[in-house]
Amino acid sequence: MSDRALELVVEAGRTMLENGGEVFRAQDTMEIMARSLGVAGFHVYVLTNGIFASAESEGGELSAVRHIPRVRIHLGRVEAVNALSRRVAAGELDLPAAEAALAEARALPEYGPRLSVLAGAVGSACFGYLFGGGPAEIATAFAAGLAAMLLLGLFGRGGVSKVVTDIAAAALCTALCLAAAPLWGAGYQPPHAIIGALMVLTPGVALTMGIRDLINADYLSGTIRLFDALLVAGCLACGVALTYLAANTLLGVPL
Amino acid sequence: MMQPFTPLGCVWQFGAAIVATICFAVAFQAPRRHFLSCGLTGAVGWLVYILCTAAGLTPPAATLVAALPLTGLARFFAIAHKAPITLFLLCGIFPLVPGAGIYYTAYYLLQGEQALFAAKGVETLKVAVALALGIAIVCSIPLPRSVSRHQYRGPKKG
Repeated sequence: MSDRALELVVEAGRTMLENGGEVFRAQDTMEIMARSLGVAGFHVYVLTNGIFASAESEGGELSAVRHIPRVRIHLGRVEAVNALSRRVAAGELDLPAAEAALAEARALPEYGPRLSVLAGAVGSACFGYLFGGGPAEIATAFAAGLAAMLLLGLFGRGGVSKVVTDIAAAALCTALCLAAAPLWGAGYQPPHAIIGALMVLTPGVALTMGIRDLINADYLSGTIRLFDALLVAGCLACGVALTYLAANTLLGVPL
Repeated sequence: MMQPFTPLGCVWQFGAAIVATICFAVAFQAPRRHFLSCGLTGAVGWLVYILCTAAGLTPPAATLVAALPLTGLARFFAIAHKAPITLFLLCGIFPLVPGAGIYYTAYYLLQGEQALFAAKGVETLKVAVALALGIAIVCSIPLPRSVSRHQYRGPKKG
């Protein structure tokens, strides 16, 4: 009984972390569920990419360790598990019902890949406008955002490392926006288009989550995420700089 | 670097910021019923940001001021919809993330403009810190019991 409950609690925490929940939220969710389901002697330690939990049962100590190497943001699932833990705490769900609800939360569908790519492109176009672009820059940012999202999807499936992916995506955006210059003629400002496309790649998630972790005194997890944000920002800068350098050296595009 | 400041332009920018933020909500698989809340969170942050820069504030200061209502709104939606604040904050924060700062830092480095490079790099870092500070301030304000009862904030101690 208790090991089934422990399994459920730890899996709920794993679902939270996997889909972009904060460390303290995963920890709170697990503690609240464990208490509500009557797991005795429950202790848990959560990091950005790992969960370590133990509990007591008649047969002795139980333990559960989970490793979460990759995070794919799915806020719908985070919300579903959050709602699940509330209902468990309110006594609305017993163990089998909670297990079913968790399975349901984990199976929440994603928006199709086409919609995600389109969202990235439209987002780029909007930022192209917000950062001072006219119609030419907006259209270019749309195309560059589209290309960057396709590249992210391709590299993600191919298992290319995050560092390389970020550099390549930023480089592709910059290259496209520079290459579009002859198309639009005078008055076209490549920086506006590049920034628009770049905004979709910025490490906003890592930055926000890192701050949230630090506020909640999860210093280790917060540091990991803030370092991630810094690394991504550096990669984007590298991608932009390398492309400008290549265009300048090979094609004589003025800096 | 930005659109010229006009009242009508503000309306357009508000709309564009809503659409841009909703794009992130789609990318992060937020449920459809929260799209508008996410969009409003991001757009209010951006509107305050452009108003502040038009009033002559530096980007870091404007970011700090804009992060306050943005995070406040995210908290409000979190309580109103009984959803995690992350849902609204993660999407809404994007317009304020210093993407332009990253670009110009790289650009000036390449041009060999050491002084401008250093200035932009520090400014980008300042914007990130201002963003952090804004979120931290609003997230740490304790709410009255009658309000916080509706908000899921973890197990009661003891």
